[in-house]
Amino acid sequence: MATGNPSVFLLTVNGQIEGANFPEYDNLYCKYCFVYGHDWAPTSGLEEGITQITCKGRQSSHKLIWNFPLETTFKSTNPSGWPQLVVSVYGPDVFGNDVVRGYGATHIPFTPGQHTRIIPMFVPEPTWRLQKFTSWLLGRRPEYTDPKVVAQGEGREVTRVQSQGFVTVSFHIITKDMKKMGYDVGPPSSAIAPSATSGWSTEEQPHGL
Amino acid sequence: MAELHIIGHIVGATGFPHSSLFCKWGVHTGGAWRLLAGLKEGQTQVDIPQTGDMAYWSHPIDLHYATKGLHGWPKLHLQVWHQDYFGRCQLYGYGYCHVPSSPGHHRIDCVTWRPLGSWQEQLAQMFVGGGPQLRSPDLIYSGADRYRLHTEAMGSVALELGIIMRHFDKYGVES
Repeated sequence: MATGNPSVFLLTVNGQIEGANFPEYDNLYCKYCFVYGHDWAPTSGLEEGITQITCKGRQSSHKLIWNFPLETTFKSTNPSGWPQLVVSVYGPDVFGNDVVRGYGATHIPFTPGQHTRIIPMFVPEPTWRLQKFTSWLLGRRPEYTDPKVVAQGEGREVTRVQSQGFVTVSFHIITKDMKKMGYDVGPPSSAIAPSATSGWSTEEQPHGL
Repeated sequence: MAELHIIGHIVGATGFPHSSLFCKWGVHTGGAWRLLAGLKEGQTQVDIPQTGDMAYWSHPIDLHYATKGLHGWPKLHLQVWHQDYFGRCQLYGYGYCHVPSSPGHHRIDCVTWRPLGSWQEQLAQMFVGGGPQLRSPDLIYSGADRYRLHTEAMGSVALELGIIMRHFDKYGVES
């Protein structure tokens, strides 16, 4: 079968949600899902999932580790709407209710090779102090009805959020037929080169770039 | 026609006096460029960081352009604003950067500046905020008439942009 001029390219994502850095919170779990445009479709693997509940180790008091596998393949005709990984982290509050600790999203890298992404996480802020107090008391914090909203740019201008914490994800990317379709994605990344976001470390809160 | 994909996000901003910040952004291109998909302007959410001084937005950008020429390569311009506890907004900086012209993943630090008024205006700004703003945002990314401006340096905005190019080599363009 001739594959002279393919009309579809494939993107294979193998990776893991390594862990998180939340200085103030413990006993967290993470839900993830993929958000993509109209031209994309997953061909294999899971589109969403939930990790285990983890707590900070005794040696490294700030690291939370999930080591959760991600294995998905997408096909598409067009890089527009490139898939994003949306991550939401939840944990118990003082009263034992399950509350959201952060939402975040990152684009899946498109150069073949190994990549590490550090995703900053944020929560929606209540608009006034009284609401902040009642939501703390009742355990009903402001949440997004659909976490996929985090992957979009529209409608963000009216929201106030508080950023707290980071989630580290690593990817190994394989693409098929992108070059044959004429797409140039630049040099493949080398495993040794530090990721572009390594300046924002999970070890401590970064103080400037 | 050659095609350009800009896939990335506005990470956040740092180095500003207060850290409750949001950003209005837009992409400006020349006449030969046509936007096929995506939003070419927007406004991020207001972020109030819990610790540290870097405000994180992670605002996604996904643009698909088709072009007949290299003139007017896309430029991303930004306005960083501060929203205080009472909901009042104050300009903290203007900045722009060219969208990278080589395929691959790029991390960009876009520096920003703010117009400086007379000493009376600066004194008033210390107490009540506000300050001069540009009448037309074109001046952010154009060089014409800049010599009239007196500005001060402000913080910087971090961007992560991925570039995919298609058919540029068919037209003999090397990048």
